[in-house]
Amino acid sequence: MRQLSLIDIAGGLVVIAILALAPVLISSNYLTGVLTVCVIYGIWAASWDFMSGLTGRENFGHSLFIGTGAYTAGFLSSIWTANPWYSLPLGVVVAVAFSILVGFPTLRLRGPYFALAMLSTSAILQRLCLIFWEYTGGEEGIYGLDPLMKTPLYYYWFALGILAVTVIVLTLLARSHWGLLLRAIRGDEATCQAAGINVTFYKIVSLMISAGFAGLGGALYAHYQLQVSPPLFSVVVSITVIIMVYVGGIGSIYGAAVAAILLTLLTEMLRGFGEYRLWIYTLTLMMILFFLPNGLIAPLWRRMTERLR
Amino acid sequence: MSDLLEVNGVTKRFGGLTAVKNASFTLKKGDFTGILGPNGAGKTTLFNILTGFMPPTAGSIHFNGELVRDLAPYQVVNRGMARTFQLTRPFIGMNLLENVLVACMSPRASQDKDKEARARHLLAQVGLGGRDKEPVETLPYGDLRRLEIARALATRPDLLLLDEPFAGLGSSEIEQLAQLIRRLHREENLTILLIEHKLREFMALVSRVIAMNFGEIIAVGPPDEIVKNEKVIEAYIGKTEDSYASA
Repeated sequence: MRQLSLIDIAGGLVVIAILALAPVLISSNYLTGVLTVCVIYGIWAASWDFMSGLTGRENFGHSLFIGTGAYTAGFLSSIWTANPWYSLPLGVVVAVAFSILVGFPTLRLRGPYFALAMLSTSAILQRLCLIFWEYTGGEEGIYGLDPLMKTPLYYYWFALGILAVTVIVLTLLARSHWGLLLRAIRGDEATCQAAGINVTFYKIVSLMISAGFAGLGGALYAHYQLQVSPPLFSVVVSITVIIMVYVGGIGSIYGAAVAAILLTLLTEMLRGFGEYRLWIYTLTLMMILFFLPNGLIAPLWRRMTERLR
Repeated sequence: MSDLLEVNGVTKRFGGLTAVKNASFTLKKGDFTGILGPNGAGKTTLFNILTGFMPPTAGSIHFNGELVRDLAPYQVVNRGMARTFQLTRPFIGMNLLENVLVACMSPRASQDKDKEARARHLLAQVGLGGRDKEPVETLPYGDLRRLEIARALATRPDLLLLDEPFAGLGSSEIEQLAQLIRRLHREENLTILLIEHKLREFMALVSRVIAMNFGEIIAVGPPDEIVKNEKVIEAYIGKTEDSYASA
């Protein structure tokens, strides 16, 4: 299908190289920490884009997968004192299990059921964390997770590597015949049915893939913060991820990841503005989405590289 | 030879309106049958029921001896019954090749390793060869109909249902499309069921007619008999003044 062109690969390598070298050139633990969060948001945004961006079924509760992945890590590492390396695969497994739980009954229906079910399930889990505080630590959450790496810099490189793998895998999938089917589902479900395609199956599997990467990102985040708390399930997280995808250019995967990194950096850089920070951030987003409804990153990259293709 | 399609007592009610009333008919392998009827006669509703897009209120549908009434549309397609839509529904934002390629990935279609080669072959077969990369947005209506047929053919149907393939086309386009459909029937050994309310094109094409009016099948027979059938004439032109007077 639409294969990766050399210029896309080159662009990707340059971005990864800059991200990898930045904390070496500007040696600061603060920057390394910020970049780690940037990279994890990149994983979340790319994974949202794969399902919702391609099939057009908006998921308003991506924090469900992020939170379940993170809490899985929390329980395993802190409470059951398991080897921290179990967190990543098991975070994926639990998030995927939740995607089946919500996706199976709601993705066969038309209308907003899926979006609402995702939104409410993530909200319910946030409440459950508070109700069962004896097990989940309530507002405080779970503390004392074991770190995966010796230094923050190694951990950042590790997270960056996972982001790179996430973007590469999801981009290849999105540009394969599989991705074509998902885009067809976005176009017209009835025509897909008439073409003999089991629409529900493809939507559920794409949600499982999306959830798996989100859960992986959640577990990564937990082992960066070394604690997990209920706001990980919040609507704010879900909406932030959706905005990142729209700024990146929906359906492009790499655009979502780059936008996530830039917007997370922007939030950090605006800290100097104190209480005006939210104003500036929100206005910037509104301007981008108003003037560039197709997003900023992916359309810009396509235009910049048009002549080189 | 056994019947390919067996429709028995199919009824569809929308609230108080009966769109299809107790429809029963059979199709044999290789048949070229048309469903004739004025607007609102229940033709498209019947198509939607046959292809699983709508559940019937009552009745049964057997295809290749299997009950297909409760199957989802994609399952019906994968048993060998494919359809086109009256209002063409291409995948916007994709080119011609990609549009057909989607159908080439259905379970029934995907025996080929090289799906793109098959999609290209299908496009050529319906007269859209060499235009793989064209976007569908700019395609004229006649070509969109061909694209619909290519997509349906991709699923290797035994029975092809065409919903008003000539609607909105000019006479030269109609003639070319009719030739294509005739060729597919002959060369691909397809059984075809076609809806149309344009009498002239229709009668020249089909070998058997099922005439419907107000949701009911009012006559079945070869075209030359159907055009003389009183009930059919009545449905199309209305009763003569004499018959009103005597009524």
